[in-house]
Amino acid sequence: MKRRTMTPITKERRATVLAGIIILQALCALFFIGDVIADLSGGGHLEDLHLGLEALAALALVGGVVFLMVELRRLLVRVNDMDAGLRVARGQMAEVMEGFFEDWNLTQAERDIATMILKGLDNEAIAKVRNTAPGTVRAQATSIYSKSDTHGRAQFVSLFMEELMSGDFSTGEVAKSHQPLEANAPGDKLHAK
Amino acid sequence: MSIVTDPASGRDNARDIAVWDPLVRLIHWSLALTILLNGAITEEESKLHEWVGYAALGLVALRLVWAVIGPRHARFSAFPPNPARAIRHMRAVLHGDRTVHLSHNPLGAFMAYNLWLTVIALGVTGYMMTTIRFFGIDWVEEAHEFAFNWLMLSVALHVAGVAFDSWRSGVNLVRAMINGHKRIPDGTEVE
Repeated sequence: MKRRTMTPITKERRATVLAGIIILQALCALFFIGDVIADLSGGGHLEDLHLGLEALAALALVGGVVFLMVELRRLLVRVNDMDAGLRVARGQMAEVMEGFFEDWNLTQAERDIATMILKGLDNEAIAKVRNTAPGTVRAQATSIYSKSDTHGRAQFVSLFMEELMSGDFSTGEVAKSHQPLEANAPGDKLHAK
Repeated sequence: MSIVTDPASGRDNARDIAVWDPLVRLIHWSLALTILLNGAITEEESKLHEWVGYAALGLVALRLVWAVIGPRHARFSAFPPNPARAIRHMRAVLHGDRTVHLSHNPLGAFMAYNLWLTVIALGVTGYMMTTIRFFGIDWVEEAHEFAFNWLMLSVALHVAGVAFDSWRSGVNLVRAMINGHKRIPDGTEVE
């Protein structure tokens, strides 16, 4: 998780450095071009070894600047895609959760608890958050597992992972073609409603 | 309860959208720096004044290339110089419209083109003054003077426009030009 949130930031820093280099190199190119033009108008010839080399250097610098700009553009697009991908994934997760909860006819309290289970809270922590006895939470969790036809926490969580990993992450909608973990998993019904 | 609504509310609240890439931002502030240097600090007719002027020209040239090959919000196509759009935008603003524009707003687009063209005019007339052919010719010097005055007026309008639009749309545009992100307030329309 940490790695994933770090990478776009590192990429952004790289983009900033790249932009700085582009500006510096562009100004260098400008300097050389100006020098070549000044030498030419001062009676110089491109056949002169010195002037010829200078002109070549100027051209190479300009080429380098354009290349770096294309490179920067690519980097920016990649950063953007990662960002969009994460946002789509978050949105899809929320959608998938809502869909499942709806299909299972969970009560509001059960939805809260199911969400907390998915976030990795254990029964005692959930009881503390909800100000109830651990026994109550345990009973509600059991009800959630039975409604979702799973045998416990691990299998319950894996239902959602399955849903998210089996589809393709094209933008917007939740993937429609997927093979639910079990035949009785309500994944198909989710999109039919 | 709050945990349940978390994923949804995260999407409805103020959104951060990356709009200005690092190259756009660096060029913007570098250009502002060259204008400040040549307008207030370097001595006229000094070599330094000339070089700073060429740097400004180079920065604008770089920005124009970037407006062709750069990412979406930096491109000409994101802020076409369209008078009809500008007038429509002005009317909408007068009627209390609070739409946020991810790139320049239609009026701001004109300001951007105006500033770039003025800097180019300053650079070209400045260069002409250094050549034997145009050295000491009155109209070139007058054009350079006029372009400078026009630039000062434009910069003042630019700053005022940024302040006004930040107030109107609730998006801190100065911050956007520093860190590249526009924070779009809850429930605001985006264009």
